[in-house]
Amino acid sequence: MKIKHQLAIFNGLSRLLLILVLWLMLPVLVEKVVYNHINKSLLEKKQKFIEHLDKEEINDFIVRNDTSETYASFSTLHSEFLFLSRVPSNNKVDETFFITEPRIIEEERNDYRILQYYFKYENTNYLLEIGNSLSEINDLTFIIRFFIIIVLIIIVVITFLADTFYIEYLLTPFYKIIDTKIRHVNEPEAFDHTPIQTHSKDFQELDTVLNQMMDRISELFKKEKQFIANVSHELLTPIALLKNKFENLIQNESLNDMAVDKIVSSLITLDLLKKIIANLLLISKIENNQYEANQSIDFDAIISDLVIDLQDRIEDKELSFHKNLEYHFSFTGNKTLLHILFYNLIVNAIKYNKPFGTIEITDGFLNGIYFLSISDSGIGMNEKQQQNVLKRFVRVSSDQEGQGLGLAIVESIAQFHHITIKIVSEINVGTTFLLLFSNERKPN
Amino acid sequence: MKILIVEDNPELAFEVKEYLTSSGYICKISKNCEETLEEINSNDYDIVLLDLGLPDGSGFDILKEIRKTDSKTAVIIITAQGELEDRINGLQLGADDYLTKPFALTELGARLFAIIRRMHGFTVNQLDVHGFSLKLQDYKVSYDEIPINLTKKEFDIFQYLVLNKNRVITRLQLTEHIWGDILEVNSDSNFIDVHVRNLRKKLDKHTKIDWFETVRNVGYRINV
Repeated sequence: MKIKHQLAIFNGLSRLLLILVLWLMLPVLVEKVVYNHINKSLLEKKQKFIEHLDKEEINDFIVRNDTSETYASFSTLHSEFLFLSRVPSNNKVDETFFITEPRIIEEERNDYRILQYYFKYENTNYLLEIGNSLSEINDLTFIIRFFIIIVLIIIVVITFLADTFYIEYLLTPFYKIIDTKIRHVNEPEAFDHTPIQTHSKDFQELDTVLNQMMDRISELFKKEKQFIANVSHELLTPIALLKNKFENLIQNESLNDMAVDKIVSSLITLDLLKKIIANLLLISKIENNQYEANQSIDFDAIISDLVIDLQDRIEDKELSFHKNLEYHFSFTGNKTLLHILFYNLIVNAIKYNKPFGTIEITDGFLNGIYFLSISDSGIGMNEKQQQNVLKRFVRVSSDQEGQGLGLAIVESIAQFHHITIKIVSEINVGTTFLLLFSNERKPN
Repeated sequence: MKILIVEDNPELAFEVKEYLTSSGYICKISKNCEETLEEINSNDYDIVLLDLGLPDGSGFDILKEIRKTDSKTAVIIITAQGELEDRINGLQLGADDYLTKPFALTELGARLFAIIRRMHGFTVNQLDVHGFSLKLQDYKVSYDEIPINLTKKEFDIFQYLVLNKNRVITRLQLTEHIWGDILEVNSDSNFIDVHVRNLRKKLDKHTKIDWFETVRNVGYRINV
């Protein structure tokens, strides 16, 4: 998950949590404020009532309703009421309580905030209750909560969007760094040193560090290339010298047969040496990305050319060669390298074949992936040999010539072109090399 | 034909000079850029063999210098790396051919022949040897006007041996010439023998070819 998405999710969740907490706390908060307010007004009313209180008035109240010894008065809409009653004497004198409870007044049940006041007047205990209906208040509280929630949601949405866009804006240089400095850079030479525009110091640092790192890699690449060039020059020049010396020497008529034989075998050894160096240089150059892969490749043509070149060797073993390429798979790569790849594979198919054997080259699609297969009816390989055969200096059988670099080169070239190699082999039945072209390219 | 050999390794230069002198060329050796520039400014050379890696600079600079003033002198680049870019670069700068170290001297001989032929406007179109005529343009051989049907490889082998007449050509040299600079190690050069055997059979039909010699264990030689 990208950092901007993670931040967006975090932002969203934290804000939702905030709303939830406020939503839960709102009733408590509102109640507290409202009750406080009601309590105050109830106290004021009580104060007024008590101030004007005298014996007659009490009697007046109570006489009107002797039976219950309670005086009750309420406003027409039952939003307020006032009770005065005689109570048995108790300790609660001059004490004020606030309670919230439902009362039924004229058969209408309502929640009330009630002030209870116990007092003694002329040796009689009274309880004064002043109530204020909460139904209106509850309605009001609901509306307030509703509005607050709406406002909160709007604020949350706006800040969420603002945050998201700001994060996006902040992270743009980061993605730009990844895109231009890392993802699209296969070679240090292709690296773009232009600083990325950003106000965030972190990204500036990242950019600088990447530039420095790439400079170091670039330096190493250069050194390696230089090294390869030096090695080839320093080794190949003496080989050239020896080769030419021997070639001139062999023209000497006075040499006896033994000397000539030795010179010839020295020339063969020199040739081997030259080829080992050339092959190792080739591998290191491929792995060092010193080749370009921008040519359009016609596999059919490459293989046909090779078969003409190798015709005499195919005939020598009296092999039957079948090439059946049905698809004109369009591929971009390096022609020289692919030529070497097919050369090595076909030469192996000849070398390790039995007399009168077959070589088959076919193509097709396997799970939507184009493949080329080169099969021989040769000596085959066991599991262990199959695993090792692509490594350097590994030979399948010791009685065949070669220095064991051919398939290592095939492997390097395949990797360079993002081609996967699969080997299917059975001892004394044959070997198939499958080249899988995985980058979703279809035939024309 | 005057050839300037530009090579910083004196022993190697000496071997090349020995071969070229025996082939009838007049040679001079130069071992660095400075000497080479002096040499080409004061003398007319027909061909320059130019090693690219010189102690005091790149052979490319010399090539540029040569091409600045004249276009007649042929230049063969010799590179140790065999870099494709080097070759392309060299050919673009006006080199006539290139060779990769280590090269066979006889290969150098064959390349020089081709270059000289081109320098003379392809007036040399035929090689004659003991009554056989090799027509270089269309790869045909005839004896006494009777055409002989040779394969491309047989013709190449014949021509290579004729060009390097009186020299022993090893199987390895022939293999390299016919199949190019392949990287495969193939000490088994039977295939050359097969082609040579076929070639000799075809030639033998027309006349006695004791001048086409098989040198035991080494290779072949055409004596003139």
